[in-house]
Amino acid sequence: MGAAAAVAAFTVVPRHVLGGPRQIPPSEKVNIAGVGVGGQGGGDINNVSSQNIVALCDVDWNRAGGTFRRHPNARKYKDFRVMLDKEDKNIDAVVVATPDHVHAVASITAIKRGKHVYCEKPLTHSVYEARMVAEAAREHKVATQMGNQGQASEGTRLICENIWGGAIGHVREVHVWTDRPLRGLSDVYWPQGVGRPEDTPPVPDKLDWDLWLGPAPERPYHPAYVPFRWRGWWDFGTGALGDIGCHSIDPIWRALKLKAPLSVHAACTLVNNETYPVASRVTYQFGARGDMPPVKLHWYDGGMRPPRPDELDDGQTFGDNGTLFVGDKGKMLGYRIIPESRRKEFGNAPKVLERSPGHHQEWIDACKGGKPAGSNFDHAGPLAEAVLLGNVALRPSIKEKLTRVNLLWDSANMKITNVPEANQYLHRQYREGYSL
Amino acid sequence: MRDIVMANQKDTGKQKFKISRRDFMGAATAVAAYTIVPSHVLGGPRRVPPSEKLNIAGVGIGGRGAGDLHEVGSENIVALCDVDDRYAAKVFKSYPNAKKYHDFRVMLDKEKNIDGIVVATPDHAHAVVAMMAIKMGKHVYCEKPLAHSIYEVRKLTEAAREAGVATQLGNQGQASEGTRLVDEFIRDGALGPVREVHSWCNRPISPRGIDRPKDTPPVPDTLNWDLWLGPAPYRPYHPCYLPFSWRGWWDFGTGVLGDIGCHQFVSIFRALKLGYPTSVEACSSGVNSETAPLASIVRYDFPAREGMPPVKLTWYDGGLMPARPQELKEGLRFGNADDNLFIGDKGKMLGHRLLPESRSKEYGRPPRVLPRSPGHHKEWINACKGGEPAGSNFDLAGPLTEVVLLGNVALRMGRQLYEKGLKLYYDGPNMKVTNLPEANKYIRSEYRDGWTL
Repeated sequence: MGAAAAVAAFTVVPRHVLGGPRQIPPSEKVNIAGVGVGGQGGGDINNVSSQNIVALCDVDWNRAGGTFRRHPNARKYKDFRVMLDKEDKNIDAVVVATPDHVHAVASITAIKRGKHVYCEKPLTHSVYEARMVAEAAREHKVATQMGNQGQASEGTRLICENIWGGAIGHVREVHVWTDRPLRGLSDVYWPQGVGRPEDTPPVPDKLDWDLWLGPAPERPYHPAYVPFRWRGWWDFGTGALGDIGCHSIDPIWRALKLKAPLSVHAACTLVNNETYPVASRVTYQFGARGDMPPVKLHWYDGGMRPPRPDELDDGQTFGDNGTLFVGDKGKMLGYRIIPESRRKEFGNAPKVLERSPGHHQEWIDACKGGKPAGSNFDHAGPLAEAVLLGNVALRPSIKEKLTRVNLLWDSANMKITNVPEANQYLHRQYREGYSL
Repeated sequence: MRDIVMANQKDTGKQKFKISRRDFMGAATAVAAYTIVPSHVLGGPRRVPPSEKLNIAGVGIGGRGAGDLHEVGSENIVALCDVDDRYAAKVFKSYPNAKKYHDFRVMLDKEKNIDGIVVATPDHAHAVVAMMAIKMGKHVYCEKPLAHSIYEVRKLTEAAREAGVATQLGNQGQASEGTRLVDEFIRDGALGPVREVHSWCNRPISPRGIDRPKDTPPVPDTLNWDLWLGPAPYRPYHPCYLPFSWRGWWDFGTGVLGDIGCHQFVSIFRALKLGYPTSVEACSSGVNSETAPLASIVRYDFPAREGMPPVKLTWYDGGLMPARPQELKEGLRFGNADDNLFIGDKGKMLGHRLLPESRSKEYGRPPRVLPRSPGHHKEWINACKGGEPAGSNFDLAGPLTEVVLLGNVALRMGRQLYEKGLKLYYDGPNMKVTNLPEANKYIRSEYRDGWTL
């Protein structure tokens, strides 16, 4: 233990003293390691493969096989702690695309070593983790980017420019929805609203179940969790809201210049302590910002959505995923102003925002001393916190309290002020061997 | 082909027709005319003076029917019918003098002295039972929803009007003080013009969002499965359907909306004088051809009525509900069990409580302009004895139930509506969805051979 502290000190402090991460001139390549490379991580690694992929880490070498084969020169690991320790000198930056419950411990371990971090959405599994990760990144001056690639799109910019240009007047109400965890109405991406399986099938070859669990509480392996379907389980995933919220709330956050919500309320189908509910509606109240009035943000998932706006023409699609801004002077479905008459009358908003070189490129540029990426953790942290706060309201014991109150949120002190027992869901104890 | 027995009894005698279905289809119009007209010509059902007791029969008595029979216990309970001996055993026992039947058709045929019947079967059998009774000139109390399909509801409503029988739907809340207060607040202008109403119910009891079972356990000795199925398409017996859990299965029940919508919409319909909506849309947590969804939201657009502006009515079930209104002070209950929220230009009302509390206190009670009810079942008994029509007689309950069931039409369109987020445009008088004709298959349910309205 004594030695461990010394080792940690030795590996972190010098960089900090030296002023953070290695300076990488634009002409050089960033040395990148991947943590969790079998699923979305494979895509992320592919998107940064203009750089040097020096090391890859996955707890399931079977699922990671494809990515391993595409990068035969990268050294392979199962435990990100071992990789970061052994490859410390060789790694400039880390791409984290593990299940949600491992994001924070992997990211913060890297950040404390002065590594730049690209982390999949949602930034973390809990509100507290999101706060800690964002603070650490700021302190260690590393370049960061969350994996909500839509932030780099033209659509996100058009939404901002339309609203800032006055296309729909003041916005007091926004609705945002996804069909997830459903896929359409007759299939699912992953199950929610189910209980814990009782059988204990053997752990597959090539999967290190203990490392997969990471900081989460111990439980026996089951294919109900891995791969991908961990999203529906409280201990590992963050439900439909966590999966999609950081994508679809991001443009709202930017356009309406949102800061932490004042309160949150939720309604959902029967929910248990194992999995997220089948369908939910989560409502956030935000205060006034500058000359923008208070706004209510309604999130819907599992097939729920707001009413079709009368301003849509017959036959126009009101899809299974979308965002509806309700302003004093009109509405916007995504960046499309409705009704059509208002869209024509308004025309195009002035182009005031810079366009992106690409979501992953933004991060690479930032790693090389360029400007911060669009979803750097100073932006992504508060966004992820709000998303994850919605999940606190869906917890079975908290949902019951919501018949009488909204959860009032004191963001500065990271505290739900009127339902104290809800604060236990802002963070959790880690298993031994894991810490922030 | 299965034989059909249609019967018509009057005080003066009886005609009985035994015809094959093939013949029947051709002769249907003539027969229908023949079976209804005589009663009508003779002035409809037997006149029962207020001093006398009605002779009442119950059909479907094991569950909710038992409660209904208890509520009309001041009258003579002369006959009882149920297809499930075990489920109905206790109720059979508590009426030792009532004749017992499995088949309502046999009961109505044999028991000449019945004045009125109480129908509390599963939804899919309401219409065939109620219709046979109506055509025989019996008064009918029928549990909600009035029937399983919009088409059935329309036919029942018309038949009851024609036969001149006293009717009442089992939405007992219609008789309550609360329903009158809602109406009186709105008449008094407490909310100003109402443009939006939200109604929700979290009734989690019946299984939904599941597929048909594949195993085929044996039918219990105590159950007549064929009669339980009645007009519904044949399928093998399974305990997942009964008792009670049929509600979630499209072939038998009508989901939470059908179960509860007629209760919760009645105060909205009355106070806002609603008729048919112009359109309906729905979303849900996933819907299949077997069962209703676990959770759903159904939205209706109603046109302007008698000086009232167009109004949007939103239904939520499965735990979904609207966001907590800002006017509701922290600590006051905004429960997910069930409630209605009215939003007017001048205020909001939760159930029959004005929001915020301060406005409720300041306003007090609206002027009492509506007559109060002697009780929901009593209304029907009075109507059977020549009194005024009951509060939820089929002329009122029919259109209400049609609107409720129209929500299920939208839900059952599932993906087709969901992906593009379309509305169904509805022509109420003609019972037709005008923009997506494939939806019209859900307006009327197919009957098994041997069953007809």
